[in-house]
Amino acid sequence: MGELKLSSLNKAFGAVHVLHDIDLSVKDGEFVVFVGPSGCGKSTLLRIIAGLEDVTSGRIEIGGRDVGQLSPAERKIAMVFQSYALYPHMSVRKNLAFGLENLKFKRSEIDARIAEAARMLAIEPYLDRKPRQLSGGQRQRVAIGRAIVREPDIFLFDEPLSNLDAALRVQTRAEITRLHQQIKTTMIYVTHDQVEAMTMADKIVILRAGRVEQVGSPLELFDYPRNLFVAGFLGSPRMNIVRASIAGIGPEGASIDLGHGAVLPCDVDPAAVRPGQRVLAGIRPAHFQRVEEGGVPFVVQYYESLGTETYVYGALAETQEPIIVHETGHFAPPSGTRLAIAPMPGRLHVFDPDSELAIARRDAGQRRGAVHGN
Amino acid sequence: MAIKASAVLERLVEGVMSLVEIPINALERLMGRKRVPYLFLAPNLVLFGIFTFLPIAISVGYAVTGGTNLFVTDRPFVGLDNFRQLLSCQDYSRPGTCQESLFWTAIWNTFWFVGFNVVATLLVALVTALILNRAMVGRGFFRAMFFYPVLLSPVVIGLIWKWFLDRNGLLNAFFEMMGVPPHVFLLEVGWARFFVVLVSVWFHMGFYTLILLAGLQAIPKDLYEAAAIDAASRRRTLFAITLPLLGPNLLVVLILLMIRSVQIFDEAWVLTNGGGPGTANSFIVQYIYQMAFGSDLRLLGLASAASVLMGVVLLALTLVQLRLARKTEEI
Ligand SMILES: Nc1ncnc2c1ncn2[C@@H]1O[C@H](COP(=O)(O)OP(=O)(O)OP(=O)(O)O)[C@@H](O)[C@H]1O
Ligand SMILES: [Mg+2]
Repeated sequence: MGELKLSSLNKAFGAVHVLHDIDLSVKDGEFVVFVGPSGCGKSTLLRIIAGLEDVTSGRIEIGGRDVGQLSPAERKIAMVFQSYALYPHMSVRKNLAFGLENLKFKRSEIDARIAEAARMLAIEPYLDRKPRQLSGGQRQRVAIGRAIVREPDIFLFDEPLSNLDAALRVQTRAEITRLHQQIKTTMIYVTHDQVEAMTMADKIVILRAGRVEQVGSPLELFDYPRNLFVAGFLGSPRMNIVRASIAGIGPEGASIDLGHGAVLPCDVDPAAVRPGQRVLAGIRPAHFQRVEEGGVPFVVQYYESLGTETYVYGALAETQEPIIVHETGHFAPPSGTRLAIAPMPGRLHVFDPDSELAIARRDAGQRRGAVHGN
Repeated sequence: MAIKASAVLERLVEGVMSLVEIPINALERLMGRKRVPYLFLAPNLVLFGIFTFLPIAISVGYAVTGGTNLFVTDRPFVGLDNFRQLLSCQDYSRPGTCQESLFWTAIWNTFWFVGFNVVATLLVALVTALILNRAMVGRGFFRAMFFYPVLLSPVVIGLIWKWFLDRNGLLNAFFEMMGVPPHVFLLEVGWARFFVVLVSVWFHMGFYTLILLAGLQAIPKDLYEAAAIDAASRRRTLFAITLPLLGPNLLVVLILLMIRSVQIFDEAWVLTNGGGPGTANSFIVQYIYQMAFGSDLRLLGLASAASVLMGVVLLALTLVQLRLARKTEEI
């Protein structure tokens, strides 16, 4: 079935090493999203799984069998291309039938599968049109339909929504999610859009420069980013990162100094730090709250009001470190306003400035899987 | 240095442009904006008129007049007599029964030549293009090698191959070395016809290969990846993906090839010493040439009538090509 296991996968194009020691396991029926900045190797990894690209070293197993030497057709996968790659000279029906015909399916079976897929994707009215007579969204559905009729063990999607307009993208995103719930087949989905990753995935794989940075559920990655890159990549606006130091370690745990005496409690593992250690503190804009006392002084520069929420841009009063604070509802602080802000409990992330790794927390037990996630 | 030179050039062009602008503005005011383009087309139109349209008219003039005089105005009007002479025949399949038996021999020779040449060139060019389209070492070299003969003059082609095929030519020398009795290839009807087609294929295939290669490279790579995932065999990929998508290019090649095959003359004339053996390789253009200039008796009327007939056929083929080209643009 649709389990996938990659072990120490490496890929080089000539002298360019684009994937480094990729290890990953995907359970049957999981929706996995590969996400990362442009050029990080997402498509290459997907194409390796599809068999369109060979590996330099490493092992690929699908459903427990080694598929390294198998052709794309033998791997029981189906792929939806970014460009859709529909056969332009064939009708939609022919496009859907092509793979099944090659696999010598009976005509009645082919027709039945096409009818089922067409119904599911609401493309029945277009079955006898050529791809060029369809809109982008309709082509997209046909491309998905061509994958569905194959009834593969694994679906592979390479940025399937990037050619659609914003509204259609949101709609199709929901439809793919619904499709996954309906057919419960393993899906691997490449995108560089973190919103797609957060909303669709059971499991996110964050890649950077050909390396897996972190694997986990969307909320695990959001709440417990393993390093600065993951912390900055997920969430919009980006997590605020400010220079800080460990102020002290007391009986209630460690405290952190955001500069010039603005000291806050934090829940790093006291054994992992020492007083005076330089660190980076990360707080998402939405995780600041305004406090009466004990907060950090913050000076407003300007704000953006979106109606239901407001982004306040400014800097920490003492260190001039730029900060974005998210407020719900209407909030209109004039420029120069001084506010006292503090992170919500448990929402302060602490990173080592040299290794860029997150420093272990006291509640480490909660986030097993977030770090390695395999 | 280079920057300076380009800056100077730019200044120069600007200067010229602003100089040109003055008279053009004046002209536009004088003639109206829409008419000025025709003024610039005029020199070209005059040249085309003199060297293309006028000769067509003169040809028609010759075709409907008789005698051996050179000047159209000195020639007696004979109406459609020349056409009648060309076309009068008891049995078109047997040139001997035709009044102008040489004309009909040439037509049938051309007919068979076009058939074999079109099929052979198309196949060779297609297979070559398919091979060159693969990622292979030395692709650029092979492409240049196959294209190279296109650059040569037909007369040179004819001469080279004649030397190669002569009684004392390279091929026979090779045969003798192998102990095979020599052939006089160009004096045996079958061989001579075979080599006329072969030389023509060799001469022109590079051109058509290039057109087909461009077509192949325009087929998106991801269609082949989709086909690989769709379990299409190589054969099926060729017939269900590559050839249909190459269709427009194949059509263009087919029509061009037909038009140019009908016009076969120079390399065959040189190669076969004027259409030999006998009239086995005598083609329509050769007939026209021989009637008009081949002897002291200048049968310009017959030659022109034959030209006009051939022109009509080529015009029909060209129209078909234009129609198809327009149609394929819609795909
Ligand atoms: N055929 C190839 N030959 C050489 N280098 C390649 C080839 N294909 C990809 N690369 C390189 O591999 C790296 C990863 O490419 P890949 O297409 O996988 O990135 P990606 O994460 O999908 O990016 P994007 O989000 O822009 O699609 C890039 O640096 C790219 O230049
Ligand atoms: Mg990509």
